[in-house]
Amino acid sequence: MIRLAAVCLPALLLAGCLFPPEPMTTQAEEIRTLFLIIFGLGALVFVGVEGFLIYAVFRYRRRDDRLPAQHHGNTKVEIVWTIIPTVIVLILFVTSMFTLGSISARSDNPVVIEVEGFQWQWTFRYENGYAVTGNFIEPPVLVVPAGDPVRLKLISRDVIHSFFVPAFLIKVDVVPFGQGQAPNELEFTVTAPGTYRGQCAEFCGLLHASMTFTVQALAPADFDAWLAAAASATPTPAASVPPDLHVVELSADNIAFSVHELEVPAGEPFIVRFTNAEGVDHNVAIYDGTEILFTGTKVTGPDVTVDYLVDALDPGEYTFICDFHPIQAMTGTLMVR
Amino acid sequence: MATTTLAPGSKTYERSWVLDWLTTVDHKKIGVLYIVNAFAFFFFAGLLALVIRSELAVPGLQFVDESTFNQAFTMHGTLMIFLFVVPVFSGFANYVVPLMLGAPDMAFPRINALSFWMLPLGGLLIVSGYLVGGAAAGGWTGYNPLTQEQFSPGDGTDLWIMGLAVVGTASILGSVNFLTTIFKMRAPGMTLFRMPIFVWTVLVTQALILLATPVLTAGLIALFIDRNYGGSFFDPSVGGDPILWQHVFWFFGHPEVYIVILPALGVVSEILPVFSRKPLFGYKAFVWATIAIGLLSFSVWAHHMFTTGVVFLPFFTFMTALIAIPTGVKMFNWLATLWRGSLVFTTAMLFALGVMSMFLIGGISGVMLAAAPVDFHLQDTYFVVAHLHYVFFGGAAMGVFASAYYWFPKMTGRRLNEALGKVHFWMLFVGFNATFFVQHSLGIQGMPRRIADYSADAGWTEMNLISTAGAFLIAASMVPFVVNVITTLLNGEKVGDDPWEGNTLEWATTSPPPTYNFDRLPPIRSERPMFDLRHRDDPNLHPELAHAEIATIEADS
Repeated sequence: MIRLAAVCLPALLLAGCLFPPEPMTTQAEEIRTLFLIIFGLGALVFVGVEGFLIYAVFRYRRRDDRLPAQHHGNTKVEIVWTIIPTVIVLILFVTSMFTLGSISARSDNPVVIEVEGFQWQWTFRYENGYAVTGNFIEPPVLVVPAGDPVRLKLISRDVIHSFFVPAFLIKVDVVPFGQGQAPNELEFTVTAPGTYRGQCAEFCGLLHASMTFTVQALAPADFDAWLAAAASATPTPAASVPPDLHVVELSADNIAFSVHELEVPAGEPFIVRFTNAEGVDHNVAIYDGTEILFTGTKVTGPDVTVDYLVDALDPGEYTFICDFHPIQAMTGTLMVR
Repeated sequence: MATTTLAPGSKTYERSWVLDWLTTVDHKKIGVLYIVNAFAFFFFAGLLALVIRSELAVPGLQFVDESTFNQAFTMHGTLMIFLFVVPVFSGFANYVVPLMLGAPDMAFPRINALSFWMLPLGGLLIVSGYLVGGAAAGGWTGYNPLTQEQFSPGDGTDLWIMGLAVVGTASILGSVNFLTTIFKMRAPGMTLFRMPIFVWTVLVTQALILLATPVLTAGLIALFIDRNYGGSFFDPSVGGDPILWQHVFWFFGHPEVYIVILPALGVVSEILPVFSRKPLFGYKAFVWATIAIGLLSFSVWAHHMFTTGVVFLPFFTFMTALIAIPTGVKMFNWLATLWRGSLVFTTAMLFALGVMSMFLIGGISGVMLAAAPVDFHLQDTYFVVAHLHYVFFGGAAMGVFASAYYWFPKMTGRRLNEALGKVHFWMLFVGFNATFFVQHSLGIQGMPRRIADYSADAGWTEMNLISTAGAFLIAASMVPFVVNVITTLLNGEKVGDDPWEGNTLEWATTSPPPTYNFDRLPPIRSERPMFDLRHRDDPNLHPELAHAEIATIEADS
């Protein structure tokens, strides 16, 4: 009995790991049910075949030199075991089609949110004009109402991405379709308020792994209040430019700085005029080794220019870098003389 | 490896063994070249796998940056598929198919040499990206528009395209050669339905290569034009269609899966009967199942594209699920072959049983992925990584090792050490399952594939650590294998021409075989001519076999 438990417990734990996460949308519940049906059929086949295999390995080990009976085949048996997988396949197909039909159903009056993927972050735009864009340090939050249907319009600015929330048990590719082709849509109804992890699931280049986001589901009343408050908040104005200072120019495009060496005079403040030519977040930060001397605010392009005012530095060599893309192409040397 | 030469006049001049190997048109030597070349790429791509697994062992970037990581998994996938698992079976097929058919060589020996020598050229082109500022990093699937010039600048991607085009051309040449050999070079008496199952799987595989590879090559050329000459096939910003690339790639890519796995299934179907001392149960059903899989493989490509939103889901779900039927038939035929057999567990047999048990898991997870709504959750997660490794590694690569242990005595006259072989098998079997079984779970919990890093609070750390430990066990299992090959070549046990009591014609000649393979053949009256010869005195087994006829032929020779 104890031995049986010792064998069964790890097996059960292992099988437990093979169940999908707790489904948090009405659609996810149906996908999970379908998963369990197909998983059950697969488990039956697995146990049957591997069981017979192990049985045969022990039962039919060679014990003497006699030649076993030479079975070349048996048409009846072969017809039977052609029918078995056929039946399984038909069950699978029919149940899949039922699930597909019900999770593809569209509602009349959903909350529509535009989701734009780009290398390597997301922008979420609401119908009242409020929008949020994430960055490497702070992934964006997609706030949705719980209990009401939500429809996402998935558009891409550059390559193919994929919008994936494991607790929703679904992903849809975010494809840069050509002109005239409607974007992909994803509709779901979250069943309970909460926060759910999500990230890009289609490999989209260098920083694919950092394209994470969070879905926050609020009770409908809380959602309405949040949306109204978010839309009325105004963005912070850009800083004014102090005159008569040394100016060095730097721009960023294709996840690379235009120059990798800058020179400024020692002992006086200076301005880094930074242009972000692309729709990806960048900034400029200055380091002495690991010590942070200056951190520029985030700039989101395309073609946005800011002036960073940097305090006086002692003569020497420093490093400037984009905090969002700490890679070779976005690193350079600042010479202070 | 010494070659005994029976052909007259072949000792008229001596040349260095290096020149001999570089210029050979003998199918057996070319087969060995294929295998050695494939294993070189296997070990390199395996090291890249260790880079990937080391980085993913724990959260955070410890060893490599994103750029190196993306290059590593792109090169790992490309090399394992195009330079290891497909060519290594071309190598074994090159060696044994003419022998199994009773033929003196392949139909076109010089084209055979050409199609081999293009492989290292193509492989080095692909890898040479590392020398010019970075190898390709768009994944082995090279999705558009990510692989367009503006998103993947640099020569690595162009070298990847050119290398794959060269490798593809090589396999098209090889396929014409194999098909001609199989249809035209069979010995008298070797009808199609007496061919060994391995030859049948090679036949279907090569037909798939001939039909599918040109599609990929065309797509690669179109992509090259997009990148370098202002084309607009796949770039949506200038009117192209990125989904078109996926159609082109997977129209090749799914048959490619069967190109990889069918020869392994063929090897298993040779090994099980020999070490069970029974014929393959349902030979004809097995042949038709192989043909059915080949035909169906051209109607299922879009199951890789369920989440793109632009494919007709019911059709591709249905066709994909259908493939489970012929595959299931094969599995049942194997089980029935073992039933009431007389099983002996050589290393080759262990690997064949390993293919059966692991490919089953890959098949079941494949059927789960065929159901479109389930695929919506699992697509592009580690579940898919687990699934494809259960097919490509648990199925095909285990089949490669089964072939190696099974045919090594034929190629060298010496048998690989069985004790070391069993150590190799069990380390690999445990390491493989530790690496990849947990990846099913990671995928179901939502870990996407192709990410260089993951959050510590995602709950994926323990399983990633297990997976990485397993990968190092797989790597360690290669030590007994390599030691075994080297020591056996130097000083292995000599076992004669037919150590396993084989069924098929390659065991009718010497080990290693002479240049033109046979000076005489046994009569071919079934798919097991060597079995018939061995049991010719037992009329109960073969009432249809004229005993006198064999005696006559024996006397003649």
